[in-house]
Amino acid sequence: MIWLLDVPGAALFAGGIALAVSALAGGDGISLLAACMILAGGLIRGGAALLVHASAIRTAQRVVRAWRAHLFPLLLAGRLARPLLAGESAALAIDHMATIEAYQSRFRPARAASAATPLLVAAIVAFASWVSAAILVITLIPFALGMILAGTAARRASERQLAALAQLSGLFVDRVRTLPVIRHFGAEDRITRQVGIATREVAERTVAVLRVAFLSGAVLEFFAALSVALVAVYCGFSLLGLLPFPAPEKLTLGQAFFALAMAPEFYLPMRRLAAAYHEKQLGDAASAALTAVEAETPEPPTSARFDGLQVTGLVIQWPNLHIGPVSFALAPADMVALTGPTGSGKSSLLASIAGQIIPSAGAVRTAGGGVLDPGDIAWAAQTPLLLPGTLAENIALARPDAGTDEIARVASQVGLDALLAARGGLALALDHRGSGLSGGERRRIGLARAILSGRPLLLCDEPTADLDAESGAEIVDLLKALARDRAVLVVTHDPALAAAARLEVAL
Amino acid sequence: MNVFTLDPAGCRWLRRASIAAVAAALAGILLLAVSGWFLTSAALAGAAGPVVALGFNYLIPSAGIRLLAILRTVSRYGERLFSHQAALGAMAGMRGSLFGKLAAQDARTGSDLSGGDASARLIGDIDALEDLIVRKPARPASLVAAGIGVLLAAFAGWASAVALLLLLIALPLLLDRAARRLTKQPAHDAAEALGALRTRYVEYAAARAEIAAYGLADRVTQDLAPLTQALDTARARLHRGEGAIAALLAGYTGLAVAIVLLFSSGPAPQVALALLATAGAIEAMAGLARTAFRQASVSEGLRRLEALLALPEPAATQAGGKPLPLRLGALRLEPGSRVAVTGRSGSGKTLLLEALAGMRAVEVDAAIGEQPPIAQPGTLLRSQFALSPQDAALIAGTIGDNLRLARPGLDNAAMWAALKTVVLDERIGAMPAGLDTRLGEAGGTLSGGERKRLSLARALLAGRPWLLLDEPTEGLDAATERKLVVQLDQWLRETGTGLVLVSHRAAPLSLVGSSVAIERLAPRPV
Repeated sequence: MIWLLDVPGAALFAGGIALAVSALAGGDGISLLAACMILAGGLIRGGAALLVHASAIRTAQRVVRAWRAHLFPLLLAGRLARPLLAGESAALAIDHMATIEAYQSRFRPARAASAATPLLVAAIVAFASWVSAAILVITLIPFALGMILAGTAARRASERQLAALAQLSGLFVDRVRTLPVIRHFGAEDRITRQVGIATREVAERTVAVLRVAFLSGAVLEFFAALSVALVAVYCGFSLLGLLPFPAPEKLTLGQAFFALAMAPEFYLPMRRLAAAYHEKQLGDAASAALTAVEAETPEPPTSARFDGLQVTGLVIQWPNLHIGPVSFALAPADMVALTGPTGSGKSSLLASIAGQIIPSAGAVRTAGGGVLDPGDIAWAAQTPLLLPGTLAENIALARPDAGTDEIARVASQVGLDALLAARGGLALALDHRGSGLSGGERRRIGLARAILSGRPLLLCDEPTADLDAESGAEIVDLLKALARDRAVLVVTHDPALAAAARLEVAL
Repeated sequence: MNVFTLDPAGCRWLRRASIAAVAAALAGILLLAVSGWFLTSAALAGAAGPVVALGFNYLIPSAGIRLLAILRTVSRYGERLFSHQAALGAMAGMRGSLFGKLAAQDARTGSDLSGGDASARLIGDIDALEDLIVRKPARPASLVAAGIGVLLAAFAGWASAVALLLLLIALPLLLDRAARRLTKQPAHDAAEALGALRTRYVEYAAARAEIAAYGLADRVTQDLAPLTQALDTARARLHRGEGAIAALLAGYTGLAVAIVLLFSSGPAPQVALALLATAGAIEAMAGLARTAFRQASVSEGLRRLEALLALPEPAATQAGGKPLPLRLGALRLEPGSRVAVTGRSGSGKTLLLEALAGMRAVEVDAAIGEQPPIAQPGTLLRSQFALSPQDAALIAGTIGDNLRLARPGLDNAAMWAALKTVVLDERIGAMPAGLDTRLGEAGGTLSGGERKRLSLARALLAGRPWLLLDEPTEGLDAATERKLVVQLDQWLRETGTGLVLVSHRAAPLSLVGSSVAIERLAPRPV
């Protein structure tokens, strides 16, 4: 409601000008009061601008905080319909949030203001000249019709433009991403030409689209200008006494001038709204993308005790990826390896077994046919998560109540002894970057965490990738030992690890 | 701001946009000013009695007012359209030349922008250009509006005109100072906070599986909270700063109009004209204010683009496609020979292939044409090797687009022949759109193994003397693998192509006569 403050400021400003002009015309000289009103009007409008901006951003950020509170856990840990690359996830959680903030802080207040302010302006003008107020309100009718006609075409046109631009950006991103292979085949000239032609085509198409899209802007401009012109001409002829019809009201110069000076205020909110239209489009697109992510993520029903894993006909079918159907059984003390080439979606399959991604078809059950309890699953990642804190805290992330002895025991079990001796034991402080830990050490921390969690099903994502031969062999031995008293499921493209498993399932 | 140069057509559009913007600003000011003058004169004439009123020439001003209303509409439309035309043209040119620049870099030395994040940022930077160009015509429009404002103020007396002139000269300086004060620090803070948040978030997103498995979402969200808080604070300051600039303009309008009034000495109609013209002239400065305000946020991106455009163009030294001998460690291979590279996973076999393909700078005990690959120009490496990498590395587009990447002037027959060799002809022949099927869209969903074979077909089509294959049959069933190996063997024999193979599977290893242990070659990234 703060934006309503702008109107009294504008009215004071217009009143000051009207007073000054009528005082001069009446031979009273320069009115000091008028100058003060003009200045005060300007200051009030300035104050309104300050307050509107401050409150708009406060509201917008409240909305964004609510989004984040609900989106971050979903994106970082919830059940998703499709796996997201880290970059995609960041685009949703960070860039789309910025877009929504802009939508909330620019478009929303402008829309709210455009609903009520014109009528308030007309009401104020009506005090000076009800005919002028009526003229302003009447121009709204053809304006609305024009906006419906031009606006619908413009909206469709600009949606097409947005889609074309998004597609072009996609092409550009893809070609930059695949530059190494493009260069390798010596295709850079051809692809550069192709990118050049595509961008030029989109630019030309966009211009054609904009011709239509800007029409609604032109309609707005036209009626904004026309309303001022009509008020000026009516008031002028009324003051001259030359109206071609009986004068409906007796106007003084002051009243007429006030009506004229207020006339541009009538369409001002609509013009501000039009200026925020881009934010609206982007905001709508962002909301749609976010809503698509949070769609259909049903919580699995109550779960059963873990007595082995039964995967039946599991299929993953996304654009760019097709896996399965995959079926296999895993006993409570057992090891199975899922193997396949890089990029074949092994990690996604593992995530859908863990219930983090909804598979396209098939079922993941306990051997007894119950629903797998998420609390029974331990996950050893390729690059394990490290949070700021000590090494002990990081190992105990899954079981913060674990005692120091227990932590020390699993640390030694996964072969972290050398690290502990060299770097000051379990109290070693870690930061996000991993404080100089090697890839192998980091992976051992992940394994230690999984073991300490005491969960009966261990899922391992490429546990030996990028390790030197010796550490790789140690990890394989460790996993073999672990498989004696728990169910271990690994995805790997390491033949040595695959050979250690009871069963290899090739994807 | 010479980050891009508009082509002549772009300059022409921008000139037209500026003319239209000037016309729109003039029409806007005159519409109000003439209306005010007309109203006041009409009142005076009306008050003087019917005779004077009838003698008052109302036709010209009232027609002028309507004309100005139309002129403002048309020229505003023209400004928007022409400036977008200039901007879109410039952005298209920018995208094209920037891509060309990136593409021409040697992958081994060029700046690394292949990460999705970096390229997405690049897109954002180019988009910022649009805003920059579209706002350009506002500058001359503001200046002309200011000039005409001063001129109209002179009707109210020279003192008013001088006062307004001084106020209008001071305003851009004031805006610039205020914008710098209000935006520099928050814009910097926002960029920093955004960078920190993105880095941390991407780390967490990569560790999603663990966060989900161990229920660490709250813990991680808490850890991100200070970063989002810092970002929000900086953004809120920026937004409030924008409000402060708007407030400054509004207050300044009041001040200027009041001062012009106080200094006025002319008759009422002229003063009315001057007052409304003053308000209009300052309103026209809003364009300048916006430019000043956005400057801090935009200049960062422009600097990045500038740095990219300043990259040197590497010299092209095409050495022709004559097959050259290859040496791997002690093993000397004449063109047409076949060799397997053995060693455990992670020991650098892929690194060797990438070094030969010219994709990475790697020190390795190997030579092509008597020189280590790192010492050879990229063009020579490309004329010798065709790689089918471990991840298929397909480009977005159709199956045909991917195959045509291999070599210019490929016809459909050649592509189908290559697909037949890699046992994909039936699968792709069954797709309704065949070679024109878009990857990833309905019907064009290839499995991991199929993508691999498509990438293999592409390498075959390149027609280079040496084929580099990284696990070509991974993910294949035994029957398909056998068929592929037989057909590949025949293709290698017929074309006399050499083969460097990385594989741990028995079937493809039957293709090669000799092998070399990767440990002997000691590949090491530089």
